[in-house]
Order: sequence, then C-alpha cells, then structure tokens
Amino acid sequence: MDDRAMITVLIIDDNVGFRVQARALLAAAGFSVIGEARDGSSGLEAVRTLRPDVVLLDIGLPDVEGFEVARQLAVTGPPPLVVLTSSREASEYGPRLTNSRVLGFIPKDELSGAAIRALVLRP
Amino acid sequence: MSTTASVPRTTNFAAIPILLLISAGALGLGMLAGRPQQGAPTLGMVLQVFVGWSFAACGIFIWARRRANRLGPLMATVGMLWLLGRAMALIPLPVTFTAGSWLSDLWAAAFAAFLLSFPTGRLIFRADLAIVGIFLFVSVPLEFVWMLFWVPGNGLNALAIVPDVAAAHVVDTLQRILISLAAVLLVASLGRRWLRSSGPVRRQMAPVLVGAIAILLQSASWIYFSSGTTFDPLDDLIFVAQIAIPISILGVILRTRMARARVADLVVELGETPTPARLREALANALGDPSLQVAYWSRVLDRFVDAAGQIVELPVDGAGQAVTVLERNGAPEAAIIHDAVLLEEPGLVASVAGALWLAVENERLAAEVEEQLTEVRASRARIVAAGDAERRRLERDLHDGAQQRLVALTLALRLAQTRLGDDADPAVKLSLEQASQEAKAALSELRQLARGIHPQILTEAGLHAAIESLAVRTPGDVSIDIDPMARFDPTVEAIAYFVVSEALANIAKYAEACAVQVRATWQEGVLTVEVTDDGRGGADPQTGTGLRGLLDRVSAADGTLEVVSPPGGGTRIVARIPAARATRAADPTPAGLAT
Repeated sequence: MDDRAMITVLIIDDNVGFRVQARALLAAAGFSVIGEARDGSSGLEAVRTLRPDVVLLDIGLPDVEGFEVARQLAVTGPPPLVVLTSSREASEYGPRLTNSRVLGFIPKDELSGAAIRALVLRP
Repeated sequence: MSTTASVPRTTNFAAIPILLLISAGALGLGMLAGRPQQGAPTLGMVLQVFVGWSFAACGIFIWARRRANRLGPLMATVGMLWLLGRAMALIPLPVTFTAGSWLSDLWAAAFAAFLLSFPTGRLIFRADLAIVGIFLFVSVPLEFVWMLFWVPGNGLNALAIVPDVAAAHVVDTLQRILISLAAVLLVASLGRRWLRSSGPVRRQMAPVLVGAIAILLQSASWIYFSSGTTFDPLDDLIFVAQIAIPISILGVILRTRMARARVADLVVELGETPTPARLREALANALGDPSLQVAYWSRVLDRFVDAAGQIVELPVDGAGQAVTVLERNGAPEAAIIHDAVLLEEPGLVASVAGALWLAVENERLAAEVEEQLTEVRASRARIVAAGDAERRRLERDLHDGAQQRLVALTLALRLAQTRLGDDADPAVKLSLEQASQEAKAALSELRQLARGIHPQILTEAGLHAAIESLAVRTPGDVSIDIDPMARFDPTVEAIAYFVVSEALANIAKYAEACAVQVRATWQEGVLTVEVTDDGRGGADPQTGTGLRGLLDRVSAADGTLEVVSPPGGGTRIVARIPAARATRAADPTPAGLAT
C-alpha cells in the first residue's frame, strides 16, 4: 500500500469518547475515516457497504467480541486490514490475541496515525 | 422407670447359705455312703442326690446374689426337702424313717410353687395357689393318713396305728390321682403363660416348662405302674431333667450379673458414636437381651420411632417386656424396650440407660456441631466467592470508567500536540508533553491496580496465560508447567492465581532466587498448585500477612496450603484445592468482557 494514498478507516467501538478522539487523531494524521460503528453486527454491515482499507476494531464490544468480528471478517469477502485495540494491554489477552488473524494490536492510549501506518506498511 | 432401693448385701454375711450348703452336702453324702449293707448306690440313687444338690446349690447361690428375689430360697427349699426326706427315710430308726417317709413328697409342693412363681418367686394367681395347695394337701395330710395304714417291709413306720394294706392302697391311689391332676393343671397354667409371652420370656420359661412336664411324667408313671413298681430308665431321665432345671434357672437369673461386666465395654463402644444398628447391638449385648429395641422420641410424630423412623409401639404391662424411658428436661428422648426380667436388676438397666443417654446426647451434639460446621463452611465459601465476584466487578468498573477516561484524555492530549504544529510556543509544547506523560503514568498505575484486584487475563484465558503474564513481570527465570487448556471455577482459578502471585511477589522481594518453577496439575478432583524456588528459604506463613491471607483463602475452598521453607534451602509452596474441571480455554465464555 502506498503511504501517500489516503488510507480509509472504519472505527468499530462502543465508546463514543474514543470514537471522537480517534477520528480526529487519525484525520489529523492524514487518514480518511469513512465510518463509525458502535457494535459488532453494525460494524460487519459497515465493512460490507463501505469497504474500508483498515478496520480499527475494539475487542470489548457490547454484542460480540472483537476477536469474533475479526474472525468473521477474515472468512467473508475480501478482508480489510484489521487492527485490534483495547484500553487493556496486550498481555491481558494472552494467546487469544496472538492467535487471532489480524494485522496487529494497538493499545488505545498508544493510538496514533504513525502506529497504524507502521502496521499497515509493515513488510 | 423408678429405681428400687438397693438391697444391702453385706449384712448377715453368708452364714445361712453356707450352713445350708454344708447340710445339703452332708445329706447327699449320707444318702450315698450311709447304707453299705445294701451295696453300691444305684444310678438312680446318685442322680437323686444330684437333683437335691442342684436345687440346693443353685438356690443358695441365687439367694446369696439376689436377696430380693424369692426364687433362690424357694429353690433351696426344694433341694433341702428333697434331700431331707430321702436321707431320713434311709436311717433305720422309727423316728427318722417315719418323718422322712412322711415328708418324702413335700418337695413336690415347693417345686410346684417354684415353677409357678418364676421369675419373681411370688405366687400371684389364685389358680396357681390352688395347684400348690393340692400338692401340699397330698404330701402332708393325705400322706399322714396313708402313713396310719401303711406297713413297710422294715416295720419302722411309727405312725402305723391301724395297719391296713387295702386302706393304704386306697389312700395311695387317691394321692396319685390328685398329684396327676395337679400336674396337669400345673402344665396347663405354665403352658398358657408361655403361649401369652413374648420371645425372650419364652426362652427363659423353657426350663420351667421342662420341670412341669417332668412332674407330669412322674405322676403319669406313678399311675401307670402299680404301687411298688417303677420304671428306672424313665425315672433316671426325669432325674436328669430335674438336675438341669436349677442350673438353667441360675443361668437366666444371673445373666444380668454377667451383663453388668459388659456395661464398661458398652460405655467405651458408645464413645465412638456407633451407628443405630451397632448401638442397639451393643445395648442388647450389655443387657444380654437379644430382643432389646431402642426407640427415639419423634417430636414431629409425638411418638417413639425406631432408627428407620418407623413408629414403635411400647409393650403393655405383663407382656414380658419393660420400657426404660430416657428423659431430657422432662421430655422423652429415647427408650429402651427390654426383657422384664431385667427389672430384677434396676441398677444394671439404669447404668445401660445412662450409657445410652450419653450416646444419644453425643449423637445430638455431634449432629449439631456438624450442622453448624457445614453452615460455617458454606458461608465461608459464599463469602470468598462473593468477594471474588466483587473484585471482578470492581476491576470492570475501573476499566469501564476511569481507565476509559484516561485513554480519551491521552488521545486528546496527543491530538492537541499534533495540531499545535512545530512552530508553537515551546513552553506550551512542554506542558502538553508533561500532561501526556502524567496521563500515561496514571493509566499505567491504574492498570496495575486493576490487575492486582483481578487480572482480566485470568477470566480471559485461564491460569496458564495469567501466570505467564505474571512471570513476565517477575525477575529471574520462571518456568511454567501448566496445561493451557485447563479451566476451572472462577473462584478456584482466582485462589490458584493469587497463590502463585503472592509466591512470586515474595520471591522477588526476599528470596534472591535464580530459578523458579510454577506447576499446576489436576488429578481426581484436586487442583495442585506448586511454586518452588532455589532462594534462601525461611518463609513462615504464621508471620507473613500475605501467606496467612492465602492460607485463609485456600482453606475457605476446603483446600490446604503447605509451605516448606528451610533456611537456605529454598521455598516450596503447595496449594491443594478441590476443583472440578470446567470449560476449555479454546471456547471461553465471553460474558462480562467490556472495553
């Protein structure tokens, strides 16, 4: 993926405060945030209609866990790049995180355009 | 049951019984040895002596041991009369021969009284008195009349004032008929009583019935064989039966005495809280009464019930059984249904009842303690489980609340830094950078706090992953041997986790260990968690509040905690917690997880 092209992002998180901050932060970093979803099922629907390059996916969603959303995204259609996030640290999830088929994990407080770009452009 | 006053046993110390015993011995020996001119004594003669001795000796023995019971004197009287009449008739002097012949059948009246008054030694029924009366009438006045006519071969009958063989025969026949009639009535009376009695009393009455039948046979043989003839084998058989009767009666009467010695064993046995069946058996053994029953008072039914809860009907008076009721504060608690014969020995029943009372009381107290202990255990487990649930809730609240806000704050600060641009006031940039660092530090501390309250990874991925994440934060080489798939009840997992967490924290603080090993194995419903280090040892669960707290938590789950920590020899902490294996890590329950 070309680092100069506008990368489209979909944010799936139930916490509105985080969505607002993340959208502003990513927009400021040159990403195009094309949509937001507040839970797993509406997130899956948004991925189908919006076809984002990257999905910033919270692990703790109210209806279904982020791990499960990521699993479904991986098996249906052309999968987007999934970046899991959480306000917990990676060590709180152990093998479930390391075994999930996603691009990577960024703790919420570490979120930045640079962090996402580092994952996306990782060879 | 009222307890009768005990009879003093030391008074009149054995003087009469010993005199009687010597007399009986002398009379018997006299009968055997006193007539050398007639050759060696016949079998019948020897047996007759033994009949007398048996009655006299057993009677005297019972008399000496059971002063309150009239059976002893009655039996002794039977034996003495038997020996006296026969011995005197053998002495070739008119006075002794006449007196001996006159009294020769008097023993039968005493014998009938003895049989009919068993087991108390008292004649209660008028019919029984009448039967004894017939025996007395035949053996004293009628015998006297017969003596007036009777002419014995040796001519020693001093009473033969009007010798008349025919008249003597008439009187003799009348006597035989009356004796036979009385014998039939005797057997009928005892037979009727036997039929109306319960098992244990029937067993005791057996020798009495044999005695009655022996008298009947004897009188029948007198009727059948005309005057002067006898049938020796039958007589001998009857004599043998008569020898056996007093010995059997002695056994019945003194059985309670042997039982007394067993009371001590009983008390020891009851101390071990036996089952109801063992308890009944122990009491039955102690009292020598196999028919003994133990009944317990049911407050629900307001009746006595057995150990199985079936209603027990208490026997009515005269049924051969008696009831000893144990009371507590005036209310019935239990009852022993036993052989009425045991009432002869109230002290014995009282001591056995006392032992039973102890057993019942023990059982009640044990049940009460057990009930309380069960309740305490259950409430302790509930408290620990509730505490764990509360910790999980607290961790979630921290996560959903303060943690989320700090995350948003961090992101807002980062956004502000981004928007500020490179040409902004350096002082503002510095302030923003400092605020950002503070927010990150606050978030980090909050995470640590939340992890200490309850590690999310434990809920998330189980013991293996949670302990792995602990190990990462512990200095030194920590090797972990835990099945990653094993999941348990959340409370059990929390206890196991905190055991390891506390152990690793102690190792980091004090142990100066190079190598640490954490193992968790599950076998036969017990989760064993073991933390071993090669540090300097010397840990004491009694002094450290951390280990003490662990011990309490492990105990609350009915587990055990073992700490082996010799100075200089490393430390080994082993917790064993009863646990059922739950779901596997591969299919975790997502419940309760939130960002």
